Amino acid sequence: MNVLKVPGRTIAVFVLPCLLLYVCLVFVPILVSFYTGLLSWDGIASAKFIGLDNFKNMFYHDPVFWPSVRRTLVYAVASMLEIPLCLLMAILLNRYVRRANSLVSIYFTPVILSVVIIGQLWKTIYNPTSMGGMLNGVLISLGLPSWAHNWLTEPNIAMFCLYFVSLWQYFGYHLLIQFTGIQNLPSEIYEAAKIDGADGFKADRYITLPLIVPIFKISVVLAFIGSLQAFDLVMVMTGGGPAHATDVISTHMYNSSFLSMKYGYGSAIATFLVIVCLIFTVIINLIFSRIEKKVG
Amino acid sequence: MSKVKKGFVYLLFAIPVITQLYPLLWLFLYSLKTNEEILGGSFFALPKVWKWHNYIEAYKQGSYLKYLSNSVLVTVVTMVCVIILSSMVAYAISRFRWRYGNVILLIFMMGLMIPMQATLLPLMIIFKNIHILNTHLSLILPYVAFSTPIAVFILSGFMKGLPHEIEESAFVDGASVYRIFRSIIMPISIPPMMTVCILTFITIWNEYILAATFISAEKLKTLPFGVYTFVSQYSVNYGDIGAFLILGALPVILIYFILSERITKGMVAGAVKG
Repeated sequence: MNVLKVPGRTIAVFVLPCLLLYVCLVFVPILVSFYTGLLSWDGIASAKFIGLDNFKNMFYHDPVFWPSVRRTLVYAVASMLEIPLCLLMAILLNRYVRRANSLVSIYFTPVILSVVIIGQLWKTIYNPTSMGGMLNGVLISLGLPSWAHNWLTEPNIAMFCLYFVSLWQYFGYHLLIQFTGIQNLPSEIYEAAKIDGADGFKADRYITLPLIVPIFKISVVLAFIGSLQAFDLVMVMTGGGPAHATDVISTHMYNSSFLSMKYGYGSAIATFLVIVCLIFTVIINLIFSRIEKKVG
Repeated sequence: MSKVKKGFVYLLFAIPVITQLYPLLWLFLYSLKTNEEILGGSFFALPKVWKWHNYIEAYKQGSYLKYLSNSVLVTVVTMVCVIILSSMVAYAISRFRWRYGNVILLIFMMGLMIPMQATLLPLMIIFKNIHILNTHLSLILPYVAFSTPIAVFILSGFMKGLPHEIEESAFVDGASVYRIFRSIIMPISIPPMMTVCILTFITIWNEYILAATFISAEKLKTLPFGVYTFVSQYSVNYGDIGAFLILGALPVILIYFILSERITKGMVAGAVKG
């Protein structure tokens, strides 16, 4: 229980500076955005209130919107695919490698780099052969020249190239989370299980997996919500092109607001994004509280 | 364990080392090559002559030091503000006896779910109206605001666990709340503050979109944005571009090299608690 009884003024001194800054720069903009979403406004001429027309346009008349939503969802699902692999590797690392920490630190390196560096690096790797791209170089030297592509400019493969970069960058993050989670499991359980004859993979199946569920959930939430918000990597690598083939919700929002100067419409998309993020956070938490109940 | 199994396990661990590090190494080699070598397509070859000149050229053509010092300034100011402001709130939430502590915590927690990019446009409009667009302040303010939720969460979690006797005895001795906060609570909370610092540092140092939207003056650009402009505008020599990318990655790589254990621990703590 909290003990310090202090006058209201003191509380205000402690709380208000941070709270005001936070509310003014996080909450107020979101509310402003909800409101601007109801306007027809190019940022210069005076705004006109048009109610839900922006949302109607978005849902029914915008050919870019639904594909970008679909790509965002695929992005989110794809980003979770590597987590089971990370869990498996974390289990094996714990069992077979004595100084696993340094290995995990190596895997983690791409996580700390800026998307600008990562994006440009992979752009260079994906470059067409005429510009010395590494991937095509590898394919050609493997005797597979027909597999060489203009990776980022061919509409039907560009998006997959982006998914892959994301998977690559965050592989180490998920591995690290799972690895730390396993290390923090109490060793007494394993010792007790060993006496009862559960060892090796049996112990993994019946002890590690159920106990690791909360940690697994953290990875899933990070990957899923992170990819719903996927933005800067796409901006750096393709900007949503070629011909909107790599547009996700966020880039569509950005391009509508800042390139087409449709402030109202861009805000409507931003509103949609915020709501989608909130809904999925709730859904994932519900799913996992079910799973945890079942396992526990 | 049989030899085959052992070999398989080591292979399993070796593959990610290659996939995670080779692209970076490749970029490093790329940065030391001539245009002919790069276009020649021998992707694994070492440069014939290690062309360190690319680095000199990249350094001369772009304003690396300017970008670097801007990034240092913005990141350090943000970190200091986040630590001071959020530990004050965390202290009030976790130690004061008042009714709205949990409500305040909840308000901050909601911020964890709000995507930063949804505030881009409204922030730009607001900043334009108060005339701070295209200043470092227009970056620092939202950076601080978006870093506080996780900081408040980590710090208040830590402070809740501190024994109450600490404050009681100081209180009896006549110390004010401010004094207790400054001389007792702040020093004890250094470990979680380090976690907050690491999380803030990695996010803010690497932030690109806000910087690219709110800043247009060359002399105010932070490192990621600076690197981006250099790479997209300069096209004479591929090696120079590679060199500038390496220069851009260098500060954070060096820091990671020195503090890798701390950083990985901090990032896990941030993920697990968030």
